[in-house]
Amino acid sequence: MKSDRGDIELAGVCKSFDGVTNVVDGVNLKIADGAYCCFIGPSGCGKTTILRMIAGHEDPTAGEIVIGGQNVVGLAPVQRRTAMMFQSYALFPHLTVRENIAFALRVRGMSKTDRLRAADAMIEKVRLTQFADRLPAQLSGGQQQRVALARAAITEPRVLLLDEPLSALDEQLRVQMRQELRRMQQELGITFIHVTHTQLEAIALADLVVVMEQGRIKQAGAAREVYAHPHDRYVAEFMGGQNVLSGCVEKVNGASFTLAQAAPDGIEVPLQARSSINVGDKVDIAVRRDDVALVRPGKELPPGCTTSLPSRVLAIEYQGYFVKVMLDTVPDDEFIAYVPEKTFFADPFTIGDVVVATWATGSALPLA
Amino acid sequence: MSAVLTDMPKTDMSKSVAPATTKAIAPSKGGRPWTFYVLATLFSLYVLALYGPMFCIYILSFQDIRGGLVFPMKGQSLHWFVDLFTQVRTGDVKGSFDRSIKLAVIVTIITVVVSFLAGLGFRKRFRGDTAVFYMMIGSLVAPGLVLGLGTGLLFQALGLNASWYTSALGAQLSWTLPFGVLVMFAVMSRFDHVWEEAAYDLGAGRWQSIRLVMIPVLAPGLVAVVLFGFTLSYDEFARSLQTAGSLNTLPLEIWSMTLNVTSPSLYALGTVTTVISFIVIGASLGSIVLIQKKRGSSAKG
Amino acid sequence: MQPSPAQTPPRANLAGWLYVSPLVLVLVPFFVAPILVVLLASFFATDGFGGLTPGFTLASYVEVLHSALTLKLYLATIKFTVLTWIFTLVIGFFVAYFLVFHVRSQLLAIGLFLLCTVPFWTSNIIRMISWIPLLGKEGLINQALLGLGVIRAPLEVLLFSDLAVVIAYVHQLTIFMIVPIFNSMARIDKKLIEAAIDAGASRFDIMRLIVVPMSKSGIALGTIFVVSIVMGDFFVVKVMSGGGSASVVSAFYEDVGVLQYPTAAASAVLLTLVLVAVVSLILRTVDIRQEIAR
Repeated sequence: MKSDRGDIELAGVCKSFDGVTNVVDGVNLKIADGAYCCFIGPSGCGKTTILRMIAGHEDPTAGEIVIGGQNVVGLAPVQRRTAMMFQSYALFPHLTVRENIAFALRVRGMSKTDRLRAADAMIEKVRLTQFADRLPAQLSGGQQQRVALARAAITEPRVLLLDEPLSALDEQLRVQMRQELRRMQQELGITFIHVTHTQLEAIALADLVVVMEQGRIKQAGAAREVYAHPHDRYVAEFMGGQNVLSGCVEKVNGASFTLAQAAPDGIEVPLQARSSINVGDKVDIAVRRDDVALVRPGKELPPGCTTSLPSRVLAIEYQGYFVKVMLDTVPDDEFIAYVPEKTFFADPFTIGDVVVATWATGSALPLA
Repeated sequence: MSAVLTDMPKTDMSKSVAPATTKAIAPSKGGRPWTFYVLATLFSLYVLALYGPMFCIYILSFQDIRGGLVFPMKGQSLHWFVDLFTQVRTGDVKGSFDRSIKLAVIVTIITVVVSFLAGLGFRKRFRGDTAVFYMMIGSLVAPGLVLGLGTGLLFQALGLNASWYTSALGAQLSWTLPFGVLVMFAVMSRFDHVWEEAAYDLGAGRWQSIRLVMIPVLAPGLVAVVLFGFTLSYDEFARSLQTAGSLNTLPLEIWSMTLNVTSPSLYALGTVTTVISFIVIGASLGSIVLIQKKRGSSAKG
Repeated sequence: MQPSPAQTPPRANLAGWLYVSPLVLVLVPFFVAPILVVLLASFFATDGFGGLTPGFTLASYVEVLHSALTLKLYLATIKFTVLTWIFTLVIGFFVAYFLVFHVRSQLLAIGLFLLCTVPFWTSNIIRMISWIPLLGKEGLINQALLGLGVIRAPLEVLLFSDLAVVIAYVHQLTIFMIVPIFNSMARIDKKLIEAAIDAGASRFDIMRLIVVPMSKSGIALGTIFVVSIVMGDFFVVKVMSGGGSASVVSAFYEDVGVLQYPTAAASAVLLTLVLVAVVSLILRTVDIRQEIAR
């Protein structure tokens, strides 16, 4: 019985190539039908292996992969009704755009006129009509990517798997193709699983971001959830945009606790979801870089701010709409403030200036 | 940083990095270095030595009936070509020619198919692959005459008649196959495994992915294997000598002619076989260029 | 990521063997079996009239190893091999070097490379015969030298001599050096040479420290071809020396001609052992399977 649903469930999936180390180590995940899911992590974290196991190019050493309610382990790629868009596309060099896109129909034995008609319809959808008779080598990177997308989509798969689809493109094209991918996904209404190592790509595209490290899932959730509320130090540092500080809990009082730090009065942190915090625990906290405000020493802190960390400016980088200020707030760790351009240039700092770093108490986030 | 520099003994600096010598190469101003002229001369001499002697015999084969084995040219005619195919004393040129072409075609077909399959097999490691590989290298470097004799004796011991289409065919394959497989390694190294995976992903079976993706992508390389198979067989001598049985192949016929024919007929035969070789080379290179062209340019706009 | 053969699943082993089975089915009867036949024959006795008496005797080996002729044959063969190897290596290396590093247009380089390879596809025998009008007693070279007054009588050492043998070998086999060396040289990143020039290296330094080490695999491959062909040849020696010189295999050919199978077989076995030793010594320095597939 075949289902058209493209919801995926990974249950205890493990993969080992040498029988000793697990490249993918006990992954459990549910992906809803029609979701755009991004796997993100450094190279070697197992994200591509997961993709290839869903596609059927590798089989898991242990665990189940369920697509639309059916366990697909052991099935050939075609039987899974998944389609893969390969890194650097793997377009057949000897076939034209039209023949590349029609390939899947050809091997299914569809007649020539039928398959070319179907291919032409798809070519129109990805706006390549004038390039239909060209060979892959005669196309630009962006055009090749659209061909790859069309070739994968023509079999009407229930899941489309994309392996670093934007890595071969230059920066400008990447932003453009990002929108194209999202548009295609909405048009086709199928599940997309996209592997990347670029944070920006993941949070711009995905409904579900899955952060991986060494074969395990570190955090899975909506883009905003993962970016703004990282579970732990690894996710916070990997997704970026956060300062991570660590210290011992000095006292716990009601809805917040205080972290002993270089700050004269410690750092007050709301408890939030964490309840089991005791005095003496070593705790990591995260503060968004754009939540950090810098004031000159002796000036009054902005309302709502209780923490004040005296720091020296180490470096300043102009980034356009904001200014990145690097500080020596925490010994041996970087501490950065993103100051809006207008605020910064109203009273610019120079390297070596002493400032006080502060933030609204409610914006500090305890990490696991 | 500055501390590091002052800590470093000054003498060491000046000793370890000597000033650039006059031998060092100055940036090119567009002119050629002297080595270019030396090597260009060497190259020209090599090409001259490669082709010079061959052109001598091609020219000498067009002498008339007074012609001899050396220059100067004595007249111009096609006499020796006619002589080659009509005279009994020059041997059975026509028959051996016929056999050699047929044999070369059979050898070529087998070589392409078998080495393509072996190339596929060697892409992944398997138990015993090294043994097969070294057996192949052994077959390539073994003295051809010795192998030929062994094959001849084997056929004799088994009570089989040696002939060009049995024992000589096998003996030639023991020479063309290792070559073919080695060339196939080089050809297949250019095939990206991911194309095959893409084909499977799109629903192709193993045979479909070979037929629709692999063979067309590798076509120029396969033509090269055809060229190897044909010419290595067409020119094979040592392994055929003891295995061809009573009917000669062309190189064997030429060999026996070198022993007893001292007329420009020999040169005429050289010219004829070279023309055949050139037709085969031309057809092969032509089809490679055609395939590349069909793929490379065209369809712009 | 490539699993070693010991860990490959049985299915992969079976598939591998299926693919190479046609190759094995040809090589076993036409390479392994004939070699074994020759090995077997070397232990047989002979009745002197071409008949073989099955048995096990080392008499043939004793005869071959005690014969003064054997030493002479091996010395001659080694002489031809070494001379040919040196000439083909030097010419082949510099021709490849010229094509890779001095010809600026890549298209021209490929064209000139093809120019070198074309004669390889034509008949070896014919190419050998083609030296007659040049080197013969009344050949072009003698005519020219006589005409210039350099010599008074035609030189006879030109044709039907050891010199002619080496010339014919070099003529036929240099291509076997050019192709693999060209291949490995073409893969040297030109930026390495520029980096070396930056560091102040001379042409000789670049050659010695970069080009030669990085062409090593090509040189090894070419050496295997040249050495195995020269050591296994009898035809060039026979024709170009006019019967004046002999090599191990040409003597083998004569032995077979007079039906001395056991001694011929014994000397063939010894030669094959020498050849195997030389080739495996070279193979030890380079993994040609990896090399070709690169």
